[in-house]
Amino acid sequence: MAGGATTPAWLLESEAGAFPIGCNGRRRRGSALEKTLDGLAKVVRQAIASEETAARPGLLQSLDARAKLPGVVALLVAVGLVRHIPVLAGLYLLTLALAAASRIGLCGFVRRVWLFVPVFTGVIVAPAMFSFVTPGEVVLPLGHWFGHEVGLTRQGLTSAGLIVCRVATSISLVVLLTLTTPWPRLLSALRALFVPRLLVLVLGMAYRYLFVLLDAISEMVTARRARTIAAGRNGRGARAAAGFSGGALFGKAHALSEEIHQAMLARGFRGEARMLERVRLRAVDGIWLLACLTLAVLVVGGDRALGL
Amino acid sequence: MHIPDGYLSPATCAVTGVAMVPVIGAACARVKRVVKDRHAPLLALGAAYSFLVMMFNIPIPDGTTAHAVGAVLIAVLLGPWAAVVCVSVALVIQALFFGDGGVLALGANAFNMAFVMPFVGYGVYRLAARNTSLTSRRRALAAGVGGYVGLNAAALCAAIEFGLQSTLFHSANGTPLYAPFHLAQTIPTMALAHLTIAGAAELILTVGVVAYLQRANLPLLRINHPGVVDGDEELAPTRGLPALRWALIGIATMIVLSPLGLLAPGGAYGEDAPVALNLHKYGLSAIPSGLRHYNGFWKHTLLPDYGFSSGEHASLAYVMSAVLGALVVGAAIFLLIGVGRAVARRRPDVQTG
Repeated sequence: MAGGATTPAWLLESEAGAFPIGCNGRRRRGSALEKTLDGLAKVVRQAIASEETAARPGLLQSLDARAKLPGVVALLVAVGLVRHIPVLAGLYLLTLALAAASRIGLCGFVRRVWLFVPVFTGVIVAPAMFSFVTPGEVVLPLGHWFGHEVGLTRQGLTSAGLIVCRVATSISLVVLLTLTTPWPRLLSALRALFVPRLLVLVLGMAYRYLFVLLDAISEMVTARRARTIAAGRNGRGARAAAGFSGGALFGKAHALSEEIHQAMLARGFRGEARMLERVRLRAVDGIWLLACLTLAVLVVGGDRALGL
Repeated sequence: MHIPDGYLSPATCAVTGVAMVPVIGAACARVKRVVKDRHAPLLALGAAYSFLVMMFNIPIPDGTTAHAVGAVLIAVLLGPWAAVVCVSVALVIQALFFGDGGVLALGANAFNMAFVMPFVGYGVYRLAARNTSLTSRRRALAAGVGGYVGLNAAALCAAIEFGLQSTLFHSANGTPLYAPFHLAQTIPTMALAHLTIAGAAELILTVGVVAYLQRANLPLLRINHPGVVDGDEELAPTRGLPALRWALIGIATMIVLSPLGLLAPGGAYGEDAPVALNLHKYGLSAIPSGLRHYNGFWKHTLLPDYGFSSGEHASLAYVMSAVLGALVVGAAIFLLIGVGRAVARRRPDVQTG
């Protein structure tokens, strides 16, 4: 186009109503597919956020992953063995304290755990509060059913409370671990803890390429939506598309894996993944591990002392 | 199907975890020997693939969600041992980073989805696909059926692990300490979700992907199918009636195993003899007159209660009943088919298709 040319006026005029542009009709929203894509986008955001928190200076960040991982597992076992809600609540408060000492935003930390727990665990555990699942002493009668009293039982409520507290504390511990540990460190910790080399190698690569495949999926879905004209539901078409997309994605993954392998060989890969820095265990790591083990033993012992 | 921490007792987690150690070890050793480092990136992408498949949650009317796993698909494409590695890795990433499935429960989850599922599904696939060509329709369907059966086997294992908790671990006053449901509740719930929605999703995905690869990317299917011919026309003709042979083997096995029925305690509901009825339980004072009158109306049975009238040789009589029953039913069906064919031949003018 010539430099001095201006846009003709008729092109700038808007023409109302001739061709409706955009979404005039009812749009089908909230399909499982769209929700999943939103969820996947959240996954990416979470992963990026955890890399950011792992780089902050803090208590858990300063520990070696080889000590941190067994320590957290010891605490998880203790949480699994505890049988009293107050003890679990105490352990949950401990995770909050650890989060604060590691400079993790408490608000986000609590939200991340408690958004998940009531939705998933609550739905599953709710029926257990009633006498027809957990028989026992009825504390809130709701009526009669074939001559039996039906209602919320003490045993059912305690059991539901136990599970919700245990799930929340366990998830908090795992979230603490992953928020404060960079992924490569965690992998080298797994390698140090006798996880097979192949598994660790595959783990590291899978995590990285997860995001590449994620992009590929969202591009495929967007492309398909852009080509789809009819708004109606087409079950057969959708099923076929799922198969095609899955197959095409696997083909893409395969092609990519060939390229990665060539690149690995070109860079001198001979079977062992190496870290640039050699990290040595320090005294503080030993103290952490010892503290975790002692706490786990004390908590379980104290819990048993409270009675079965 | 991802069991979070807190639902299973540490003892259950330990048992399943210990069970998984040799499986993972064998899988790594075997994969390394068979596919070598060359396929490490392929395994990684298989793991990422399985992760993404598991992300597609389908809501189920009871308020929970279920999902396909893709383990059988990976087993068909890369072999069952590779599927063990891929799905385990996907589960580790989910447990550590996204709180989906527990860290302690990793052993249990891996046992269900990374061990039981690919092996059961792959076994079904191999049985159903038999020696068909790589591009045959039957092979794609066999993969789908394998996926369906594998997913349900995994769901059954998860339901058993859940359901055992309330029986094995409860406090003195009966408070369940872990998952509070009984086997009688967990198995139907998991079966309902996975026999219908999640199973269908797994089937559609597996059939769809294999069928697509059959048309568009055959080299991918060849990775795990060395020596399988591409097209049906290259197949050597097979002899005999394999379907009939398998059916006969199945029936013979069931006949031999039939005395196991004698071991089952109790009788079928509502089939008690009138004298054995607990009248008090139903608020009755006497056996109802109709029941007394019509019970035992037919007195000419050959093997009453599948036994000899003398009551001796119970197992032998049970097997004989099975053989006789199978023969009579088989003869009746052949007769019916014969009659049906004869009728169809009489009416050749009926339009077909």
